[in-house]
Amino acid sequence: MVCLLSCLLMIGLTGRLFFLMVFRSQHYSQMAEDLHQRERTIKAARGRILDRNGTVIATNRTVCTISVIHNQITDPDQVVTALSEALGLEAEDVRKKVEKYSAREIVAVNVDKKLGDEIRGRHLDGVKVDEDYKRYYPYGSLASKVLGFTGGDNQGIIGLEVKYESYLKGTNGLILTQADAAGVEIENAFEDRVEPVPGADLTISLDLNIQTYAQQAALKVMEEKEAKRVSVIVMNPQNGEVLAMVNVPEFDLNDPFTLNMEPEEGSTASRQDLLNQMWRNPAINDTYEPGSTFKVITAAAGLEAGVVKLEDTFSCPGFRIVEDRKIRCHKVGGHGSETFLQGAMNSCNPVFIDVGQRLGVDRYYQYFTQFGLFGKTGIDLPGEAATIMHKKENMGLVELATVSFGQSFQITPLQLITTASSIINGGNRVTPHFAIQASSADKTRVHRFSYPVKEGIVSAQTSQTMRYILEKVVSEGSGKKASLPGYKIGGKTATSEKLPRSLKKYISSFMGFAPADDPKVIALITIDEPTGVYYGGTIAAPVIADLFENILPYLGIEAEQEETVSAFRIYG
Amino acid sequence: MPKYKKRSKRFYDYSLLFAIVFLTIFGLVMIYSASSYTAQLNYDGNAAYFMTRQGAIAMGGFVLMIMVSKMDYHWYARFSGLAILVSWVLMIAVSLVGREVNGKKRWLGVGPVSFQPTELVKITVIVAMAALITRIGRDVDRPAGIARAVLITIPLAGIVAANNLSSGIIIAGIGFVMMFVASRKKLIYAGCVALGATAMIFAGPIGNFLTKIKILKPYQMNRINVWLDPEAYPTTGGYQVLQGLYAIGSGGLFGKGLGESIQKLGFVPEAQNDMIFSIICEELGLFGAVSVILIFMFMIYRFMLIAGNAPDLFGALIVVGVMAHIAIQVILNIAVVTNTIPNTGITLPFISYGGTSILFLMVEMGMVLSVSNQIKLEK
Repeated sequence: MVCLLSCLLMIGLTGRLFFLMVFRSQHYSQMAEDLHQRERTIKAARGRILDRNGTVIATNRTVCTISVIHNQITDPDQVVTALSEALGLEAEDVRKKVEKYSAREIVAVNVDKKLGDEIRGRHLDGVKVDEDYKRYYPYGSLASKVLGFTGGDNQGIIGLEVKYESYLKGTNGLILTQADAAGVEIENAFEDRVEPVPGADLTISLDLNIQTYAQQAALKVMEEKEAKRVSVIVMNPQNGEVLAMVNVPEFDLNDPFTLNMEPEEGSTASRQDLLNQMWRNPAINDTYEPGSTFKVITAAAGLEAGVVKLEDTFSCPGFRIVEDRKIRCHKVGGHGSETFLQGAMNSCNPVFIDVGQRLGVDRYYQYFTQFGLFGKTGIDLPGEAATIMHKKENMGLVELATVSFGQSFQITPLQLITTASSIINGGNRVTPHFAIQASSADKTRVHRFSYPVKEGIVSAQTSQTMRYILEKVVSEGSGKKASLPGYKIGGKTATSEKLPRSLKKYISSFMGFAPADDPKVIALITIDEPTGVYYGGTIAAPVIADLFENILPYLGIEAEQEETVSAFRIYG
Repeated sequence: MPKYKKRSKRFYDYSLLFAIVFLTIFGLVMIYSASSYTAQLNYDGNAAYFMTRQGAIAMGGFVLMIMVSKMDYHWYARFSGLAILVSWVLMIAVSLVGREVNGKKRWLGVGPVSFQPTELVKITVIVAMAALITRIGRDVDRPAGIARAVLITIPLAGIVAANNLSSGIIIAGIGFVMMFVASRKKLIYAGCVALGATAMIFAGPIGNFLTKIKILKPYQMNRINVWLDPEAYPTTGGYQVLQGLYAIGSGGLFGKGLGESIQKLGFVPEAQNDMIFSIICEELGLFGAVSVILIFMFMIYRFMLIAGNAPDLFGALIVVGVMAHIAIQVILNIAVVTNTIPNTGITLPFISYGGTSILFLMVEMGMVLSVSNQIKLEK
């Protein structure tokens, strides 16, 4: 009977086992699997960045991570001496890591592949050399504020690297392994592997040669004029492709955490603030008072509205009184009697004040909106600054007068060049951009980026008249120094006084385009706080002339034998 | 049982012997499988550490078993009194100067040699009870007889239980089963079993009630709670049981194959010990686990045959005692591993790692075989 009872109990337990191992099997296996499985990621290679001609300007370099595994080390002393010598580390620090009882202790990261291979070649027990990718920029500081750089996890931090993170980063692969209770991977255990997908290569509109030349030109003028900063934007006015965006001083993308200059004496800014300052892209992140270059917009609005014609005459006594305010022209004695065209060539403030007043606040505001000056340009870079403008209800005639020649409001250099592009390209508001296409590493999938274009912000006729006016500015007016023999160049100078006015600091700028009758390229230079002569026409215009002289033939725009500028002019 | 003076051929239970050898070797294989990984980590890469130790003791035990099986079992009945005395001395000694392992004083040892006296107590109780019941004869159902049996078993079970509750339960269980078999008033015992089973079923509410009136300590109540829902206590009390259940559950019908367990890699604590059955389940599946249970059932069947045909009551009772011992341990062990009863440390006979255990089990088997050897086959 006891025997029977025992057997019954055992049969009962068998039933329990059956329940556990058949019906609950899935549940417990899953829980066990969750417990055993360890994931190890295989880093995906980050996509490269290529310029418009296919030159690689951001790529990956293989670097090594050196780590030690405590319980695989057989000769700690040898490991300590070998590693500290090879890596140039304090023997004491290495020893600490070698003697630490842990699954894996990292001794050094971002070690050059050559050195890593050499350490691996010594076959030290318990020393592991893992390969990893690190971002590498072959051209160092070139277009640093545009390209941006990546952080410790290879993630984009600023610039295009962060904007196109989702395209560039790829998908990490996985190695699923089984581990014991201590977390040590089991050798020869069943391994699941998910292959990493490398990030897509990004082709951008930047032209390495133009960028390089523009950077040299910018550096040269910055040194000559002991300026704080110089920015140059070169773009195609027809479609908004940015060919170059220089902001000197640039910083070294391969070493982005080292300041490119000594912090100013007595500066209380933290290191991080200084770094952020260094990484800033003033061409899009900072706004300024555009000054006379903005007369392009006022002129276009006046022509479009029909309130002014080229041969309308104005008189400039050297100032204009608006309400109770006396607003001076830059020429103290005044320009006297002049046509609108001459006023534009002279960059005469009273002429543009008059045009502004003829438009009135409402219409001026309407064109300001129509030209797309409010808000942002929509460029594919992070942190673009928006326009700072008077509220319509706060805008009186005095404000209107100052806005008419580019003061008392702020826009980014990029906003200015984009709006100017749209006015001279026949009236199509383009979206400035860098990215042209993203293609998977094996070239099987290609994504072409497209950008919105708003057509008809000015009529074709107004556009043509504007091109004529601006060509005249360069050929005979204040932008003379930008003229190039054999080329039809259009442009406008500006000298803006920085706020507060009492500091007498200036931003000199020049915006030029070529060929004037069919613009293929437009460039804007802003020189921040030049010393000595600070007139845009004197110091900024020659830089653009020099730039154009070099890049126009490169872009396939040949010089003409004769100047036939006015031959085809059509009045608007 | 009528006795014939005729000299007849003696019986020897080779089936049982085969089952013992099979289980022991199977046990060694499983110990190697379950312990090789941790042994390798803890004993300088000696993966076979536990297996070789167990194997050596099992070999010694096997020789001892053969010797005991060839002795007349009546001979050592005379030492039952002495055995009780030795048991008491050792148990008191272990309580005072025992080696502490995991907070429990269960080991008595000199130098490298150490053993668990509780195993000796089990064999002592079997022999002593068999001797007592044979001596008192019909008194077994009278209060005086019961009192004498209780006097031998319970105090010993008590002192064992003080440090090792499960062994105490086993010892009391052995005594209980032997009395039950000898007794003619089986209803009383059946009643006791029924009562115990009911208590088990309603353990949760009863435990709560007892905790409320402060008979049960909170940590004991905690064990019951863990038993009722181990997944709610994955890191505290439920860890061992839960890891065992993971192992059992991952086994499925045919298991992962010998040596393929993952739970033995440090997840199931001391996988070669109490929890070895879960590793058998994981590696050999339901098929393997049921096979093991069937072999134990076969063993119990052999015990029953031998007890039924034993030449005298004393021999029969010894076999019953051993059977009770094996059956209780197997049932409790599997019940614990499958979380059918609250967790308590009980080894699986012949298979779990434990030198003392295998040695005394071999001696017990020797005793059973010697009883079988006294059976005279009629021509």
